Amino acid sequence: MARKRFHQLKKVKFRATWNKYNLYNLSRLQMPRTGGLTFFQQKWKAKSISRAYHGEQIREKQWQRMFTPRLNAVVPMDHKYLAEFDGSELAAGRGSGLEQPLGAEKGQAKKKKPIPYMHQTYAPIERRLDMAVWRALFASSARQARQFVVHGKVKVNGKKMIYPGYLLNPGDLFQVEPESVLFATGAPKDITQKRAGKKIQARRRGVNVSMEKLRTQAAERRAAQQAERAAKKDPSEALIRTRRTNTMLQDNLEYRITRQRDIAIMIEAAEKKMNQKRTAVSVKVKQKIRAFLKHAKKAQAEAFRKPIQDMEKERYDLVEEYRLALKSPKEEDKILKLQERDENGTGLDPNSKDAPISKYRKRLSEARLAGIERALAQKEQEVVDPTKPYATPWRPRDYMSAFAFIPRYLEVNSKICAAVYLRHPVARPGLTEVPTPFPADIQQLAFTWYLRRR
Amino acid sequence: MGAYNKQGQLIRVVQAAREKAADSRKKEEQGGGRQQQFASNDNDNLDAKKDVEIPPETARDHAPFPMNRTFISQPVLTSALQHHIWRQIIHEGKSVREVSAEVNVEMSRVAAVVRLLEIEHEWKRIGKPLAQRYHDAVQGMLPKTDWAAPEWDAEHGEFAKREKPNHESINDLPVHAATGQQIFLPTSESRHFTRADAAKVFDKRLLPADDRVPHPELTVMHKEVLEGLSEEERRERAEARNAVAERKRAAALALQAAKEAAIKKVDTGRWEYRFTEIKVDDAGKDGRGLGATGWRYGAPLMDRSRGQHKIPRAV
Repeated sequence: MARKRFHQLKKVKFRATWNKYNLYNLSRLQMPRTGGLTFFQQKWKAKSISRAYHGEQIREKQWQRMFTPRLNAVVPMDHKYLAEFDGSELAAGRGSGLEQPLGAEKGQAKKKKPIPYMHQTYAPIERRLDMAVWRALFASSARQARQFVVHGKVKVNGKKMIYPGYLLNPGDLFQVEPESVLFATGAPKDITQKRAGKKIQARRRGVNVSMEKLRTQAAERRAAQQAERAAKKDPSEALIRTRRTNTMLQDNLEYRITRQRDIAIMIEAAEKKMNQKRTAVSVKVKQKIRAFLKHAKKAQAEAFRKPIQDMEKERYDLVEEYRLALKSPKEEDKILKLQERDENGTGLDPNSKDAPISKYRKRLSEARLAGIERALAQKEQEVVDPTKPYATPWRPRDYMSAFAFIPRYLEVNSKICAAVYLRHPVARPGLTEVPTPFPADIQQLAFTWYLRRR
Repeated sequence: MGAYNKQGQLIRVVQAAREKAADSRKKEEQGGGRQQQFASNDNDNLDAKKDVEIPPETARDHAPFPMNRTFISQPVLTSALQHHIWRQIIHEGKSVREVSAEVNVEMSRVAAVVRLLEIEHEWKRIGKPLAQRYHDAVQGMLPKTDWAAPEWDAEHGEFAKREKPNHESINDLPVHAATGQQIFLPTSESRHFTRADAAKVFDKRLLPADDRVPHPELTVMHKEVLEGLSEEERRERAEARNAVAERKRAAALALQAAKEAAIKKVDTGRWEYRFTEIKVDDAGKDGRGLGATGWRYGAPLMDRSRGQHKIPRAV
């Protein structure tokens, strides 16, 4: 609900955004002229320009309730000083330390920096969830951060938190949806990417649903038949062989049915092995089978509920677990050899692709796979995807670096778009942790404004 | 923003240019002043500026707001340092306190780094894409505290010693509200008036600064060094301190476990039901006790009235 002239140029008001006009306003920001103004007018002016930046999205009454005259500060202590002196030297002489001869200390004495207490005026606002999201560089303005929270893009300690006014407690971990962060901090799409994105969306919208359904079902039935043939040898094989057919439909009904059936066959085989009375099954194997059964039954139950991508990810894990549980390593080798003999006749060429996998070859292939994976990951980063709401490959938006800083009360991991609120912001000698563009004089006037009881 | 002047020039470059120009002028004057200066001051400045390479950034250049120099963009931890911290905690089994003192990073930050890295590892395990490009861009915009693994010194057969990273001050003494007032306390001149006495004057229950800092053990260790204790004795004392801390931690854990055990849990596979023992008598004589469970008939429920918190206060 930003008003008409949010980043106005006539009357300079610095806002909590990364806008380029705002950057221009920051360069023009000046101390208000106080000559000829009453004290009330000075306070009013200071309050007005500082509130335009600090929690502009919060109602005045709400902020007045949050305001506290208590200003937090810390003094860094040197542990060596604490060990060497017990403080009595400060009370020596006439009660304020021994007098130094004139000019004795001038060279080495460090000038003590004052604690900027007045900069703590707006510290309570920094505790709000939306402000913390913005300060962690996950949104391009405080209002956008607020929108992310309201839209459910932000989790606090793993739980969705939809209240922008939630006051973070020290130790709270908040996460923002990476896609939202990339959108907020990324450059906008250019016209070609915009057009391409629109085209793709239009194509998606124009799908003939019933025809697509028919085609998909046919393709999936074919895939299922193939899988069934494969499954005659090994039930777990079916789960690997069946491929999800490419479709524009969201419900892969046939695919889900086959998936469920495959799992049922595997469960049956596992239970058979578990309950067989002729040969004793070792306790370890039984444990493995039990674990597999638990997972498989869960997967079976969720076959129609889970998103298709999750099922895809899960199926290889399931197959591996099944094989580990039901086959001893010796048995597996035997099966492998049998299969190879089946496929290649009697003679086996050790250099052929289908030769039995030696440990060396296995390691080689694994290394190659890792390399391919890395390359793929890199490519994924650089890929052009016009369906995204930001320019791809991602790059930071213009003028972001001028606004980029992370205050010390947050610990941010930008790879996963998560941060921890360590403690409340404090002032320390010569430094403040509350990011504010205003000097101490303005802050003090604003502090005095809110101090009064009205 | 704070690194530039009103004309949009880098302040540190302008300053370096001015210094260089002043230097050269001084040299010329020392040379006898035979050469006359034809160029104006301004031109001179510009010429000098071309020669000067950009001096390294200082903390002053990291002030994002030109009007407020007390706020600066402070360094963040690099991934290398984060991984080092994580390794020290998870693999080496060191305590947060030890690691904090070792790398000069606040204890709460050490814990946060480990938590965040655990999540990152989990994302990698399940193949969830990381925002790598965003991360690189952000890291490029901020000052950093880096860490590099010490190199193996083959000559001496040990790792080469390096300066430990200086990220932040770890021994911050919070300013207590009770110390805000100025007190004139008349005492005898001969009295040995220490920090502990001063704390007592401010508030009877206020502890001296030695006990209120986050790392009191550093002070104790330094005191032992000053006392001239041998290394062995110091180690023994440190171990004794650790044992006490460990006992405390174990007791706290046991208490927590006992609390957990008091809750009866019934796992049905789909849901886990938790039953807690309650007492009917908690409601009190008038049946309106605050600690009692359930709806108290006739007692007003204040949760929607003015001044009450309506959004969660902790998660």
